[in-house]
Amino acid sequence: MNPKGVCPTDLISEATAFAVLREAQKSGADYAELFLEDNESTRIEMIDGKVESANYARICGAGVRVLLGTQSAYAYCADINEQSLMNTARAAAAALGEAKYTPNGEIRLSNKRFITPVRQRFDTICNADRIEVMRTGARVIKSASPEVTQAVVRYLDQVQRVTIVNTDGLFVTDERPRTRIYLQAVAMNGSEAQTGFEGPGCCRGFEAYRDVIDVEKYAKSTANMAVTMLHAPECPAGNLPVVIDGGFGGVIFHEACGHSLEATAVGRNNSVFCGKLNTKIAADCVSAVDDGTLPGEWGSINVDDEGGKPQRNLLIENGILKSYLIDKLGSRRMGMPSTGSSRRQGYMFAPTSRMTNTFICAGTDDDEEMISGMAEGLFAKKMGGGSVNPPTGEFNFSVAEGYWVKNGKIVSPVRGATLIGKGSEVLLKIDRVGKHMWMEPGMCGSLSGSVPTNVGQARIRVSGMTIGGKGGTIE
Amino acid sequence: MTYQEFAVRAMEYAQSIGCASSELYYANGESFEVNANGGEIDRYSASREAGVSIRVSNNGREGYAYSERIDEPEKLVDHAADNARCVESDDEHPMQTKQAYQDIVRADSALKNMTEFERIALTKRLEQVCLALDPRVKRVVYCTAGYDSGAVVMENSLGLHAERSTNSSYLYVMPSVDDGVELQTGFAFRMGLDAADAEGCAKEAVEDALGKLGASPVDSGYYRVLLKPFAMSDLLSAFAQMFSADAAQKGLSLLAGKEGETIASKLVTIWDDPFDPVAPRAFDGEGTPCAKKAVIEKGALKTLLHNLKTAKKAGVESTGNANRRSAASAVGVSPTVFRVETGAHSYEELLVQLGTGLVITELEGLHAGVDEVSGDFSLKAAGFLVENGAIIRPVSNITVAGNFVSMMKDVVAVGNDLRFGMPQGGYFGSPSILVSGLAVAGN
Repeated sequence: MNPKGVCPTDLISEATAFAVLREAQKSGADYAELFLEDNESTRIEMIDGKVESANYARICGAGVRVLLGTQSAYAYCADINEQSLMNTARAAAAALGEAKYTPNGEIRLSNKRFITPVRQRFDTICNADRIEVMRTGARVIKSASPEVTQAVVRYLDQVQRVTIVNTDGLFVTDERPRTRIYLQAVAMNGSEAQTGFEGPGCCRGFEAYRDVIDVEKYAKSTANMAVTMLHAPECPAGNLPVVIDGGFGGVIFHEACGHSLEATAVGRNNSVFCGKLNTKIAADCVSAVDDGTLPGEWGSINVDDEGGKPQRNLLIENGILKSYLIDKLGSRRMGMPSTGSSRRQGYMFAPTSRMTNTFICAGTDDDEEMISGMAEGLFAKKMGGGSVNPPTGEFNFSVAEGYWVKNGKIVSPVRGATLIGKGSEVLLKIDRVGKHMWMEPGMCGSLSGSVPTNVGQARIRVSGMTIGGKGGTIE
Repeated sequence: MTYQEFAVRAMEYAQSIGCASSELYYANGESFEVNANGGEIDRYSASREAGVSIRVSNNGREGYAYSERIDEPEKLVDHAADNARCVESDDEHPMQTKQAYQDIVRADSALKNMTEFERIALTKRLEQVCLALDPRVKRVVYCTAGYDSGAVVMENSLGLHAERSTNSSYLYVMPSVDDGVELQTGFAFRMGLDAADAEGCAKEAVEDALGKLGASPVDSGYYRVLLKPFAMSDLLSAFAQMFSADAAQKGLSLLAGKEGETIASKLVTIWDDPFDPVAPRAFDGEGTPCAKKAVIEKGALKTLLHNLKTAKKAGVESTGNANRRSAASAVGVSPTVFRVETGAHSYEELLVQLGTGLVITELEGLHAGVDEVSGDFSLKAAGFLVENGAIIRPVSNITVAGNFVSMMKDVVAVGNDLRFGMPQGGYFGSPSILVSGLAVAGN
């Protein structure tokens, strides 16, 4: 590697990058940053066991961000030649107006190069390889039950190559491979239809489908969910205890708490958790972490999207709030160091504080006892998605696969349940945390676009939550 | 390389490697967005983007490839041809041929002729007006103005040539209010010709927030419900896929095969109107001339929405509803401007007809709490408790649940207060709708 030259993985030379950053600082920005992205992806869709469509996309562009104190401006273009980059830098600079700060001295560079270790690169496989994996999923879904009427399988792999250069002297490149397979089963009888889904994914190469993603297992679970829900009565409504299983159940923490710990909310005084560091915000049995460093996980990052180092952030320890999720701009607003939490979907978005792999840590309670010790309530085995309004902390999320519990026993599957509440209240009502924690992937949408995140937890119990649904009765 | 050079080389190369037909979809655009916070510019974004999608067809199978680098057309065509080779579905997807289009006059949106300085001033004014309206307005969570302009050019080897340029403006705000007891947020937006209306937008958002102070849940049960325009248009948007022939042909819509049947109350008519002034367009995502049609007319399902592929499979004409979510996306099906026909009643009259029940003003969690296939929904909601036609108090932290298909049969009155929801990939509008019953979970 020649420090003055252009590496094959670089999207820009140092000299050009410097020229762009200098241009961006001309109106007085005290910080400027250049983000370049070259992102190749392949998506294939299979309906009923047949490939329906295949699509390749190459997204390529760059964004320039400038900061002056807590003011920020962002400009981007779908073009990374020098002329376009200079124009983009001028557009960002213009937003700060007439300020008169002249950057002094040279930018001293530190180079860092990251690459996610991959055994089977996506540019070495062909569509036939991808389709073979998908076909397994479709076959298993369709053969699971005669009531399964449709199998939809979607496949994605992508490699995002980024170069981040800033006036702090950072020149970082990263190569981020990701793949995900989305399996959906539809079960129908007469005029009713129910769906099941699974969507495993990770930050690895194609070897993932040999080593870590068992497509058959997920396909079976998808089909079982659809068929089970087809025969499920409507969920009763009311305020009752809820047991939420591990894995995607962690979406409750993601919505009820995670978003409200992001600097985007906290730094603007728009969060219920403002000023609550080192105070009790959750039950004693709750500890929670956001960790972008876990190898190969869907939400992991080698470097964050402003060049920062990801870390394991202990958010809550035994019920006490320990940390927020902070990016550079949030750090300036809040007067706290950044936590390596800056992320963005791509060059079309300025980065901001986001989650990576976020989970409630394993506890000491027994999974079975949570249900056997419950008089009446809901066991939410599989969660759907949800959302939150950070200023009020009010959240909602859907239960994809639920079971009704009476006198300590599961008596029936139930469909159509929704859970709502306030984050600050529900965290204090968690009364059990199980021993086995696992995570599942999702896409999280916020200010800086849609980013891959893992949610996770061990099985937990909440002593009371509003369960919404069509209000069925279970005998 | 210019785009014209790229296009010529791509189509020539596609032909030379044996593709029966090839099509290019080129989109470029510029956008501007600014967010004010505490009287300062908080976020500011300006952009220029462009990308080209190549679609090739061979032996009735098609493949796509998209790039934002206007270079190496041959490589991109190879990607598309490779993708076409792996398609197994037997459904043929024809490309459109040369067509004549209606002239569309689309008024410039409000921010088009404003300078950047004026747009920033507008955003700051929106925040200031909110703060000045009521002492309980403590902050503005976000406050944003934006302007986008862009052009699309479609051309293919069968002679199709279609192009249009569009521009759009928007303004939205979320103030938060605090009466010392609790905090609530409100929301309002303006778009198109109205996007410079900071005063109206601020007033609506602050009233929305203040109206929620003191809200609490109601007891769980079955309630008569008056869905206000935004709640209903959000539901319509969430369940739009049901009307897609593509979803129906894939076994993913309960409306499959129901054309001609009564699926809703006689009071319900739903239009797909590509010429509606809110977002008029002459052609769809594959160059088919657009047409206005009733999808539901007085309760009867008149047609599903088709593109050339689903129309060929069903043996009908395309309804002009081909859609590309972005230039990088494959051709799918979606409504153009989708709206429920207005009825005779004012909102006040509907309150009287409601008698005792709930007004639902907003629904949350639409990306999670709806099942597009079954029609089931269970969503966090907010609104007002109504007794004997009078609003008693605000309601929050409840869910409303039902089934979209059965709810459409339970419509008992339709208002005259049509409004379009905030555009998020589509335009959906509705007046207030009174339905005989939905399940509510609260206390």
